[in-house]
Amino acid sequence: MDKTLLIPLTYLSLVFLPLLAGFVLLFLPNRVKIKSFGRSLTLTISGLTFVLAILIFVLGQCKSTRSVIPVDWSVLQIEIGNLKLDLLLSAKPLGAFILMFAMGFGLLITLYSLKSIGPMAKRVNEYYGAILLTIGGSAGILLSNHLLFLLIFWEIVTVSLYLLITTGGKGSNFAATKSFAMIGASDAAFLLGIMMVWVHSGTLVISDISLAATSTLPIIAFLLLMTAAITKAGALPLHTWLPASGEYAPVSVMALLPAAIDKLLRIYLLVIVVRGMFELNSGALSVILAVIGAATIIIAAMTAIVQHNIKKLLAYSAISQVGYMVLGIATGTAVGLAGAVFHMLNNAICKCCLFLSAGSVEQATGTADMDKLGGLGRKMPLTFAAFFIAAMSVSGIPPFNGFVSKWMVYQGIIQMGTEQTGSAAKLWPVWLLAAVFGSALTLAYSVKIIHSVFLSRLPSNFGDVKEVSLPMRVPVLVLASLCVLFGVFYRQVLEWFIYPALNIEPGTAIFGTWDSILATSLILIGIALGLVILLVGLLARKVREVPTWTCGEVQTNEQMIIPGTHFYKTVSSMGGLKQLYAGQEKGHFDLYNQGGRVGLALTEFLRWLHSGVLPMYLTWVTLGLLVILFVVCKIW
Amino acid sequence: MSVPLNILFWIVVIPGTVVFGLVASWIVRKVSALVQWRVGPPLCQPLYDIMKLMGKEILVPQEAQQTVFMAAPLVGLAGILLFSIMLWRITITETAFVGDIIVAIYLMALPSLALILGSSASASPHAALGTSREMKLVMSYELPLVLAFIVVIIKTGGQLNLAAIAQQTPALSISGMLAFLVALLCVQAKLGFVPFDIAEAETELGSGVLMEYSGALLAVWKLIQAVMLVALPLFLVTVFLGGFRPNLWAGLGKLVGILVLLILIKNTNPRVRIDQAMKFFWFYCGIALAAAIILAIIGNYCGVGWL
Repeated sequence: MDKTLLIPLTYLSLVFLPLLAGFVLLFLPNRVKIKSFGRSLTLTISGLTFVLAILIFVLGQCKSTRSVIPVDWSVLQIEIGNLKLDLLLSAKPLGAFILMFAMGFGLLITLYSLKSIGPMAKRVNEYYGAILLTIGGSAGILLSNHLLFLLIFWEIVTVSLYLLITTGGKGSNFAATKSFAMIGASDAAFLLGIMMVWVHSGTLVISDISLAATSTLPIIAFLLLMTAAITKAGALPLHTWLPASGEYAPVSVMALLPAAIDKLLRIYLLVIVVRGMFELNSGALSVILAVIGAATIIIAAMTAIVQHNIKKLLAYSAISQVGYMVLGIATGTAVGLAGAVFHMLNNAICKCCLFLSAGSVEQATGTADMDKLGGLGRKMPLTFAAFFIAAMSVSGIPPFNGFVSKWMVYQGIIQMGTEQTGSAAKLWPVWLLAAVFGSALTLAYSVKIIHSVFLSRLPSNFGDVKEVSLPMRVPVLVLASLCVLFGVFYRQVLEWFIYPALNIEPGTAIFGTWDSILATSLILIGIALGLVILLVGLLARKVREVPTWTCGEVQTNEQMIIPGTHFYKTVSSMGGLKQLYAGQEKGHFDLYNQGGRVGLALTEFLRWLHSGVLPMYLTWVTLGLLVILFVVCKIW
Repeated sequence: MSVPLNILFWIVVIPGTVVFGLVASWIVRKVSALVQWRVGPPLCQPLYDIMKLMGKEILVPQEAQQTVFMAAPLVGLAGILLFSIMLWRITITETAFVGDIIVAIYLMALPSLALILGSSASASPHAALGTSREMKLVMSYELPLVLAFIVVIIKTGGQLNLAAIAQQTPALSISGMLAFLVALLCVQAKLGFVPFDIAEAETELGSGVLMEYSGALLAVWKLIQAVMLVALPLFLVTVFLGGFRPNLWAGLGKLVGILVLLILIKNTNPRVRIDQAMKFFWFYCGIALAAAIILAIIGNYCGVGWL
C-alpha cells in the first residue's frame, strides 16, 4: 500500500470510525439487547482511537517521518459560489498532542462506565453511542483545518453532550436543556464569527488565516469566537450550565465532557484563535480576557466553598480552574501560554479523577450530599488516595502537577507586568492576587470535601460500604499517578508535549526556579526522618487504640459528626458577602435566568397582543394602515 | 560552594535546623516568662519535653483514618524541613536553590495543610472544629501575604529569585515597611501564636487540631512548630530585610529581633474570634496593602526609592 495514503487513512478512521459506530448505536433501540454489544464496541473503538492518536503524535514527533506526512489532506471538496468547502484533515503539533490525551480520556471513561451503573442503565445504547460521537467529534475538531467543518464536529460534540446529560435521570432534562440552550447560543456566535472571518480574509482554512485585530470587524469576530470558546469551557459569565449539569448528569459524563474533553477542545480553540488566527495588538482585548480569567477564578471558587453536593462543587471548581487558562493566554507571554496549555492538561487530568472518584463514592453510598457522608477513607482507601492526590494537585500543592502549571501562569503574569506596557500589564498585581488567592480558596474547598467525605467520622449507616470494582478503580488510579508524574517530571512533559505544540524554544520560557525532583527527594528524606522518630516512639511504647476523647463524658451518641459543609459559613455570613451569596443562591447572576426572564416578558407582551378579540385586531390593523399611509404617502 | 563544604552543609543542615528550632522555642518561653515576671525554663527544656513525649504511648482513635492520622505529622515535618533547608542554602550560598518566592509561599502552606488533614483524620468533633478554624485562618492570611509579596516583587523589579531578593532591602521604604508589618502578622497567625491561636485554643477546644495526638506523634508536631519558629522569621528576613547582610551576626540579630517581636505580640494580646481574624486579614490588612502596592508602583514609576 502506498505509504502516503496510510496516514490520511489513519486520520479518516480516527474521525469517522467512532462517528459511524456512534450513529449505529444511537439508532439501535434500547430494547434491542445484544449481550454487552454496546460496551465491547465502545471499548474496542475507544482503545483503537487511542492507539491511532498515539501513532499520529509519535509520527509527528519523528523527524524522518515528518516529511512524508502531507501538510493537509483534503477528503472532499465542494464549491458553492465562492465559498469553498474543503474537509482538510491535518495533524498540527498542538492538535496531535491534545488528540492523544482526549482519546486517552475517552478510553478511561469508557472503562469506568463499564461498571458504573447509574440511571443510564435503561438507555445503555444511547449512552455509549453518544460517547462514541463525542470521541469522533473531538477527533474531528482537533484534526480539521477548515473552520466550517470544525464547527460541524463542534456541533456533534454539543449534541452528544445534550444526549449524555439526559441519561442522568431525574432533573437531568432541565440541566440538559439549559446546557443546550447556552452552548447553542454560543455556537451561533461561533458561526457568526466564522462568517465574519470568511468575509474579512476570504478563506476558511485555519492555517491561512491571519487577521490583525485592529479594525472593528475582526475585533467583533474575535469576540464572537472567544464567546464560543469560553462558554463551552465554562468561564464566567456564561458558566451556569455547568453546575446545573454537574448536579444531575451522571459523573462519567461530567468527567468526560466538561471536565476533560470540553476543556481540552475549548482551550485548543482559544489558543488557535488568539495565537494563530488573530494578531492581538489591542490592549483592550487582553484586558477583557484577563478580567474574565481573574473573575472566573475568584467568583467560582467563592461559590464552590459553600456547596453541599460534591458534584456541584466540583463543577464550580472546574469553572474556577478555567480562569487560570484564560489568564495565562491573556498574558501573551510564552511562559503564560505554555502554563495555560499545561494547566488545561493538568486540570483535565485532576478534574476527571475527582469526578470519577466522586462517582465511585456516589455509587458505593448512594448519595453525593456531603452532609450525609463521612469517614469513607477507611472503607475506600484507594478511591480516597486518588481523590486526595487529585485534590492536592488542583489546589496547587507542590510537587503535584497543578502546582507547576499555576506557577507558570504566575510567572507569565509577572513577566507581563515587567515587560509589557499595555493596560492589562499595568494591572498585573490584581491578576496575580486573584490567581494566588484563588488557589487558597481551591485548597479550602478541597479540604472541605476531603473532610466531609473521606475523613471525619463514618455515619453508622455506611458500616458495610465496600470499595468499588476494578474497572472503576483503574482509571482513577491511572489519572492520580499521572498527577504525580506530570508534577515531578514536569520538564520532560513540557519538552515532549507543550513546547513543540506551541513552537516555544525549550529553556527560554520559564524564568523562575522549581527543582521538582530535588524537592521531591528532600520531602521523601524528610518523611523517612519522621518515620525514624515514629519508630523510636513505637519501640519505646506500643500503640493503643482508644475511643475518641469526649472530655470525660460517657457518650452513647456515636454520631458526633461535624460535617465540613458548614466550614465556610463564616465567609458566607460576612457583611457584604452575605448579600452576594444570597443573590447567587436565587440565581440573580445567572444570565440564563435573566435571559429567560426577558424572553418571558417578550412572549407575555406578544400574548397580550394576540388576545383573539376581533375588535382589538381591527384596531391594530387600522392603526398600522394609518401609520403606513402617513409614512409612505407623506401626508403631513 | 566547594564539594567538602557542600557535604558539610548536607550533614549539618537537618540537625542544625532542628537545634535552632529548639533554641528558638526556648527563646519564646524565656521571653514570655520575662514578660510575665517569671524566671523561665533552662535552655534544654524544649529538648527534655520532646524526649519525654517520645517515651509516652501513642494513642490512636478507633474511628480515625489511621494512615492519614499517622502520616500527617511526617508530611508536615518533611514540608517544613524542605522549606528551611531551601532558605538556609539560599542564605549561605546566595544562589537560587529548589524554588523561588512563589514556590516558597506554597511550601509554607504544607505544615498547615498537614495539620488540617491530621486533625480532620482524628475523627474528634473538637478537632473538626479546629480543622475548620485552621483552614479559615490559612484562607484569611494567604490574601495579605500574597499582597505583601507582590509589594516585594514590585520593589525588586519583577524579581522571583529569593537569592536576588535578599540582595535588596524592600523594608527600607514606606510600602515595604507596611508589607513587612502585615507579613509579620501573617507569620504570627501561621505559627498559631496568640492572638491567632484560634485553631488550637487550649481553653475552649482543648488543643483543637492536636487534641487526639500523643506520644511520638505529638513530639513530631512540637518539632514542626519549633522548626517553624526559625524558618518563618528567616523567610521574612530573606524577603524583606535583605537577608544575612552585612554579616552573620547582623542576620542572626534580625532573626532574633523578629522572633522577639512575635513573642511580644503574643504576650500582650487576647485571642480573637475566627470571624474577627478573617475580617482583620481580608479587610484591614488588605486595604493597607492595596495602599502599599499603589505607593510602590508610584515609587517605581517616579523613581522614588523610599515610597
